[in-house]
Amino acid sequence: MNSKTASQPLTIAKTPSAPDASGFSIGGLFRRPEAGAFLGLFGVFVFFLVFGSIDFLKPAGAASWLNVAANLGIIAFPIGLLMIAGELDISIGSMIPAGSMTVAIISGYYGLPIWIGIAASLGLGVFVGLVNGFLVVRTNVPSLIVTLGTLFAVAGLVLGLSVLLTGTTSVALKAPELAKFLFGQFVGNTFQVIIFWWLALTALYIFVIHYSPYGNWIFAMGGDKVSARNAGIPTARLTICLFVLSSTSAAFVGMCQAILFNSAQVSAGMSFIFNSIISVVVGGVLLTGGFGSIIGIFFGTITFAVVNQGIYFTTFDRNWSSLIIGVMLLLAVLMNNTFRTMALSYSPKKK
Amino acid sequence: MKMLTTMTTILATSVAVCLTASLALAADIAVVGGKTDDAFWSKIKKGVDDSRFVVEANGGKVTYLQLQTYDNLGPDAAGLVRTAISQGVTGIVVPDWVPEAEDEAIKAAVSAGIKVMLMNAGSLEKAKELGAINYVGSDEYLAGVAGGEYFGKSGQKNVLCVNTLPGSANQEARCKGVIDGIGKAGGAGKQLPLPATSFGDPTAIAEAVKATLTQDGTIDGVITIGAGDADAAASGIQQAGKVETVKLGSFDFNEASLDRIKGGAQLFAVDQQPYLQSLLSVSLLASHIDFGTDLPVAPVLTGPGIVDASNIDSTLSGVSKGAR
Repeated sequence: MNSKTASQPLTIAKTPSAPDASGFSIGGLFRRPEAGAFLGLFGVFVFFLVFGSIDFLKPAGAASWLNVAANLGIIAFPIGLLMIAGELDISIGSMIPAGSMTVAIISGYYGLPIWIGIAASLGLGVFVGLVNGFLVVRTNVPSLIVTLGTLFAVAGLVLGLSVLLTGTTSVALKAPELAKFLFGQFVGNTFQVIIFWWLALTALYIFVIHYSPYGNWIFAMGGDKVSARNAGIPTARLTICLFVLSSTSAAFVGMCQAILFNSAQVSAGMSFIFNSIISVVVGGVLLTGGFGSIIGIFFGTITFAVVNQGIYFTTFDRNWSSLIIGVMLLLAVLMNNTFRTMALSYSPKKK
Repeated sequence: MKMLTTMTTILATSVAVCLTASLALAADIAVVGGKTDDAFWSKIKKGVDDSRFVVEANGGKVTYLQLQTYDNLGPDAAGLVRTAISQGVTGIVVPDWVPEAEDEAIKAAVSAGIKVMLMNAGSLEKAKELGAINYVGSDEYLAGVAGGEYFGKSGQKNVLCVNTLPGSANQEARCKGVIDGIGKAGGAGKQLPLPATSFGDPTAIAEAVKATLTQDGTIDGVITIGAGDADAAASGIQQAGKVETVKLGSFDFNEASLDRIKGGAQLFAVDQQPYLQSLLSVSLLASHIDFGTDLPVAPVLTGPGIVDASNIDSTLSGVSKGAR
């Protein structure tokens, strides 16, 4: 085992139980892997409070970025885990419209019960994830290329089937009350119900990744896959699971969108590929794998959403929005990097 | 054995048909177009497929050459025009999206003796300049003006044009038209350009519309450049709690926006009737090549058509057949 593999997973493994010998300390809090991501988010908040208005934090304003963050966040978690494990999945870009079109065609166009549509939509996610996972594990082709292939294949399949079956590329869907309540309602007329799914999933991911052995396995894989396998970690099975997770999450988000907006389009969702990777990196995951945390991704997603939506609460000319988004994201990542370096190079003073 | 004979007969006949076809120099038409995965181009495709029957009945054929992406629109379209030239077609239907990039290829086609019809993007002046026989399509600016005036007629005073593709000449012309149109009717309008990170994310678009409506209480009309964006805008208006006061319009439409028009949640949709663009341009071009006809009407405008509560039912039946 080389030293890199040994030290990185250990750093992470230790952090959840941060207050070790010395007990609770502000310094210890700042050295947690998600501290940089949190400070990035904090800086972005301050910026929009100064240049925007307080409306931004009122319920309706908060919903503006929470809704965007929730949709993106559900996908960003598995993407982040894949990146930590040293893989990438860009096929989510076509899994979102695939998920929404599946439920819309089955339950909207053919009028079958919504539960069949939802099951088919998620089932398609599992299937595409299995295909991605098996191809990556068996062929050793880089996952970027494999999922690039499935990105186009799924997009073409959805388009072809949609035109063949329905004659159009946009299908309307009227979901019954219960499905609408669970997946596509506005709580208090402003919060998408998907926010609660996102929060629940955050808790679940934190538990699995940071408090169960599976988490350490993923970090070990990203550090050094061969050593991880030699140490007895079922790397192939774990990789396939992660791909299934990411494409099923994308199908889930697509399905919720179709139910919420009562409509599904063949061409949508490509911006999610880039946006989810940005959120994950802003959240402190290394592009090279092996480092990151769920809370970090959580903060990274919110940062991205706030930067994107905050602009509407300012008086800046809207033509400048992309410039502001770019600069803010760069600053957030820089802040994050500074803190990560500080955290990793920290050595406690002798008492 | 009987099967085999039948097969041979069919083969022989089709060979004969092919031979006559090439001898008679019937129209061999290439249509350059966008990806058929958006609602708009799939209707163009249906127009192409429907006009194919007429062309094939006269011994000709029609092929649809589609772009793989929109990232490099002008050069890619020019490339498809050159592909068509090298295939030896007798007619090309092409949208002149990026004149700087495409004009040279179109001129090359014209000088090779190929009849060219501009469709969807271009103008009569452009057609004359390039030596194309006509322009079939709509004028985005006029479509915008029609939308703006419709808002004015129904009493709107301040209209927001949500542009998810800022910088694209077509969409800028639409929004400019809306602003001028509502201006003529005594109101005002402005554009809301969204960053590229929001494109294709309905939640981001809905929240942008909601935030803008809450920031500026005087806005009483919202129009989007696409039908999918209108689904998102409708949700933004509803979240802002302004369904009663803010009216929604859209360029182009889908099933959900038509449902909204029928139910009263959307005021209207501006339609450029894409089905007619390809149906007419292919049939006009084929008839010109095969029979030497010339239509005195130029340009052939297929829009703006307005879909509102008054003609929603006939539109819906066209939608169910994939033509609207």
